[in-house]
Amino acid sequence: MTQFLQQLINGLSIGSIYALMAVGYSLVYSIMNFSNFAHGSVIMLGAYFGFFSLTTLGMPFGIAFFIAACGAGFVAVTLERLAYKPLRDRRAPFLYFIITAMGASILIDNGVIATIGPTPKTFPPELLPSYLQSGSIQIGTLGIGRVDIAMFVITAVCLVALILFIDFTKMGKAIQATAYNMKASALMGINPNFVIILVFAIGGALAGVAGVLYGVKYQVFPQMSSITLKSFIAAVFGGLGSLPGALLGSLLLALIETFVSGYISTQLRDIFAFFILIAMLVIRPAGIMGKSAEDKA
Amino acid sequence: MLSVHELHVSYGGIKALRGVSMEVNQGEIVTIIGANGAGKSTMLNAITGFLKPAKGEVIFNGHKLGRNPAAIVKLGICHVPEGRLVFANLSVQDNLMLGAYLRKDRKKMAEDLEKVFVLFPRLKERIKQQAGTLSGGEQQMLAMGRALMTDGELVLMDEPSLGLAPLLVKTVFQIIKEIRDLGKTILLVEQNAQKALEVADRAYVLEQGRVVKEGAACDIQSDPAIRAAYLGSKSVAGGA
Repeated sequence: MTQFLQQLINGLSIGSIYALMAVGYSLVYSIMNFSNFAHGSVIMLGAYFGFFSLTTLGMPFGIAFFIAACGAGFVAVTLERLAYKPLRDRRAPFLYFIITAMGASILIDNGVIATIGPTPKTFPPELLPSYLQSGSIQIGTLGIGRVDIAMFVITAVCLVALILFIDFTKMGKAIQATAYNMKASALMGINPNFVIILVFAIGGALAGVAGVLYGVKYQVFPQMSSITLKSFIAAVFGGLGSLPGALLGSLLLALIETFVSGYISTQLRDIFAFFILIAMLVIRPAGIMGKSAEDKA
Repeated sequence: MLSVHELHVSYGGIKALRGVSMEVNQGEIVTIIGANGAGKSTMLNAITGFLKPAKGEVIFNGHKLGRNPAAIVKLGICHVPEGRLVFANLSVQDNLMLGAYLRKDRKKMAEDLEKVFVLFPRLKERIKQQAGTLSGGEQQMLAMGRALMTDGELVLMDEPSLGLAPLLVKTVFQIIKEIRDLGKTILLVEQNAQKALEVADRAYVLEQGRVVKEGAACDIQSDPAIRAAYLGSKSVAGGA
């Protein structure tokens, strides 16, 4: 029983990071109808922004966190302006967007390896606030990592704020309208470019938060960006383009992963994850709560 | 109010409009009739900036219109698109308020919302309902109400009667007249030429991207060539 609860907590904690990533991924998909495979690189850069603000610049952790979120949001918007907007202006087929995203991702990852280097960086524990220190809170035989609790709480706060923004503000409604039909929303006077910049900024900022949390729990390293694949699986699993779907998909994926690692084998974890992706695409391409069964490339 | 000069629009080699000119004056209902593929919807999409004209220009109240639909809405043109395109995932209320997206005049917005509810009492009854669950006729009313909430002076309507039951078709044309009575100017694209000519002041007949006839709606209606081409079978199908 203890082991089960322990795995459940691990699963929820890693699931909350997947959710932060998958939500940004899904938001962009809902407006642009393509999978932004460069999202992982934004997460990775966010982690580095947080790390260097904390260590080299000597900022307090809260400020470093904020810089990471803003920096990652800025990178995401810059990527949109430099890489995707020219394609949109030429009405390029969606395949071009995916190839461009992959290219941008390779460029950023290798840029980081060439300049900062491939060695993983560890957040120095003495610079972290107490709630992110290692160590755990004991409840009977169950040990809950403080990092895990903090990750879960920070994610919950971010996602609740996002949902309130999307459902209850005028800009949030504009995002939903544009996701539903870009032509109709333009007829309301909603500028599609504005909405696109907004979703990249929000998705990027959440990616920065996810990057720092991931870096604190594990380490910061250039290949971190490959965890995009996990957020992609989570988003497809839950239903691309749907925020509740991305949330649900992330938690389910992470729970399945931790239970497979815990009870079967760590090596089989990713095989299960990708099996889920393929099975979902075959059985129910729209995902658990997806908006349509169109091409999900 | 609106003048279109020698507009040419092509889609990848196909010339959809070949030098169309037209005028819409304040307070008029002007209709564009023509067969499928004559260029009627192309005309509206070029006015609201969704299509790039190869040649020609569109002037609205002294402003030359560009290719930014959001800016064109701001100048005072609203467009009820073909197929209604209501935001199915949002409530009726949200749909209407999105119409007022660019507006800041809260008091006038509330008044306009009341006017929309007077025009379409059904929308008031269904205010909390998701737009996707409305019937086709209700969605058409919502699309019109949403356009009115932009407070544009010129309302472009693309096939508002398409796919509606005959009784609703009658209602829609009645409402078009009521919208004009609210002080709006209307440019109406319709396949139901008979009904469109009954409500319109003036009409343009498009054939293969050209204006082949224009004039007062009653003259067009009694023109033998037009009767043979557009009103013969249509008047039976749509005249119920």
